[in-house]
Amino acid sequence: MTVPKKENEKVIPFRFIPDREGKLKRIGRKDYLLMNDAFYTFFERSMGEFTDFFLAIKDKKKILGCRCTQCGIVRCPPFVTHCPDCAFAATEPIEVGQVGKLLSTPPITYFANSLFLEKAPFGRGRVTLAGADTALSVMLYTTSGILTPGIFNKDTEVKIIFRDNRMGEISDIFCVPTAELKPAQIRKKGLLESELNWASPQEPKYGMPAKDDIDSFKRTLKDLIKIAMDMNKSKRVRKAIEGWKRNIAVKCKAGEFAMYINDGDFKIAATKVKKPDFVIACVDPKDLLDCLSYKGAVTDAIILKKLWMSKNIEFNTAFKLDRMARALAREKKEAAEK
Amino acid sequence: MGRRVGIVGAAVTPFKSKWYEKTYYELAQMATRDALKDAGITAQEVDAVVYGIYNDIFERTCIPEHPLQAVIGMQNKPGVRISNGGATGAYAMSVAHAYIAAGRYDTAMVLGVEKATDCFDFTSMSSTPEVIKVIGWSGDSFFEQKIGWTAADSYAEVVLAYMDRYPGDLKPEITAKVSALLSEQVKTNRYAQRQFDQCAPAEVMNSRYIVYPFKELEICVYSEGAAAVIFAEENTAKAIAQRTGQPVVWITGVGEANEVSFAGKNLNDWGRIKSHHVAANMAYKMAGITNPLKEIDVVEIHDAFIHQLEITMAEMGFVPHGKADSLIEDGLMTPGGEVSVNPSGGLIYCGHAVGASNIMSAWSCRNEMIEKQYRRGLVHGTGSTIAQYGVVMILEHE
Repeated sequence: MTVPKKENEKVIPFRFIPDREGKLKRIGRKDYLLMNDAFYTFFERSMGEFTDFFLAIKDKKKILGCRCTQCGIVRCPPFVTHCPDCAFAATEPIEVGQVGKLLSTPPITYFANSLFLEKAPFGRGRVTLAGADTALSVMLYTTSGILTPGIFNKDTEVKIIFRDNRMGEISDIFCVPTAELKPAQIRKKGLLESELNWASPQEPKYGMPAKDDIDSFKRTLKDLIKIAMDMNKSKRVRKAIEGWKRNIAVKCKAGEFAMYINDGDFKIAATKVKKPDFVIACVDPKDLLDCLSYKGAVTDAIILKKLWMSKNIEFNTAFKLDRMARALAREKKEAAEK
Repeated sequence: MGRRVGIVGAAVTPFKSKWYEKTYYELAQMATRDALKDAGITAQEVDAVVYGIYNDIFERTCIPEHPLQAVIGMQNKPGVRISNGGATGAYAMSVAHAYIAAGRYDTAMVLGVEKATDCFDFTSMSSTPEVIKVIGWSGDSFFEQKIGWTAADSYAEVVLAYMDRYPGDLKPEITAKVSALLSEQVKTNRYAQRQFDQCAPAEVMNSRYIVYPFKELEICVYSEGAAAVIFAEENTAKAIAQRTGQPVVWITGVGEANEVSFAGKNLNDWGRIKSHHVAANMAYKMAGITNPLKEIDVVEIHDAFIHQLEITMAEMGFVPHGKADSLIEDGLMTPGGEVSVNPSGGLIYCGHAVGASNIMSAWSCRNEMIEKQYRRGLVHGTGSTIAQYGVVMILEHE
């Protein structure tokens, strides 16, 4: 019997694989060779004693722990078949609940590793499920939009949610706060991701601008254009966006403008982007100006809801904008010190 | 404790964000060459080598140390490689110490090297997400890797649990001040990756969140580089010191402990980094230290994250739990304070070339003790998920 594959998925997504080529990098007067390469190994990996745990998630939408036949401690995940506290007495499988409390305030990953860039921001916390004595690591999401600090804390009650398409691995489940669920959903065993009411990204509407808003927008846009020109002259900034291309529409209460990132070039222009890669919205462009002037961070402004971004995956671009701001600030500081 | 063991030579290469000009072979040779020169001995006079190399994937080979045996001139000498996460370098030094203290060898070199940022993510056209991914392969492969485990989020788990337990400690303005202080201290470290990257506390606070609660300027930077130290038993060490004119810095205490990485009943004391506490107490007992704040002059701590630096200082007994901010608020680690913490700039400003980092810390601690006539120093290493591993080494000079 085989476990059905996820549609069109390879164990290494195609987009991660570079062409077989190399290039030269000049340092001083000498060129050094850089070769595209990979260090790959494929596995047909046995899940061994964890098979029942993962198949229970996949086929039965159940979470299993293991109970020590001597001391009765219930461990979830069931990481031992014998209890190290009881001279290795045998453990037995036991089903645990699907609601539990977080052991501590969980971290939130905004800058993920390359495999998880599209999933950020996400939390990862440890939940002690009803009936268990130890905590299970889980991914944490909110149904209400971007995950910000304060949604999950120590003792926040959370519910296990099952992905609709499950393979038999730990990423088949995640948790949301029970506060975001209806009582029937909290009670239901095996609640599916598709049964949740996920907030869809809604571009904010800011209403009609006053004359002051328009004047301020025009002044700020001039400053933004100037800072983009400064950035474009900076070696460090250009390096930060080497190989990166994005056309970004910025929509404010009093108008719209464009930010173009094009393989080292950066430009802000008082034009509309026809087919933007994504949209940034803010009431006042000063919020963006502050970030690009290194008086705050684009990432934090999004987290604090001063800036709105149409695609979570573009956090990656937000990081680049932050790096550009810091690079320019450093260059200015160094120039001032000289 | 066996025979007395001392440090007779040490060297580091510059730590850089990327060494385009050199592979890890040459970095290892550079550190070896300079450490031997510092000790005034040849490779032939070194009995054994302990390699500290954290991650096979970084070096792109599964036995990265084997070519180094020829590169550093150690033909037919014993060579053992240690790989213990972030604490690789500290554990490598501990093993070399044990070899010599036990009388197996009279001299040993500890050589740490890492070439991390050859890893490259072609989707974001940058190294960092791929470096984090490679380190992510160090997480639990059944339950955590596939849900985005990273070193940063695992350390953040411990830090946030500490903050749940001790609300009011690790205040953002204090962690920012610690980072700013380290950025000043790194100025004198000419081998540091960020020697001239001085930051005001406001800049630290304005830097972006990477993993909540860590901001960009509160996190160590990944580096490439190498470091080496040479240990010798007492008579050999004294003979070398006579030749070089440099005093021997003795290793008078070593302790290490590994926490468990699962959490809950009968497991980890969640919100503490107990392994650092246990390791420090083992080392203190061996060295006869009862009051670290009064008896230790300089600390080179493995500061993967500023928050963890503060917690570790509490675990090692320099400040009470829940009052780690007193390191700054009471001026304990500010200039002129009771203890000098990370004069090298630490891993946040000197850089984190993983296998070499703790050896760099030992190099810096020894230099400080000799230059400033400090009596006692402490070198610390941490690693693995949730700061699971802890190693503490006490250095002393007469």
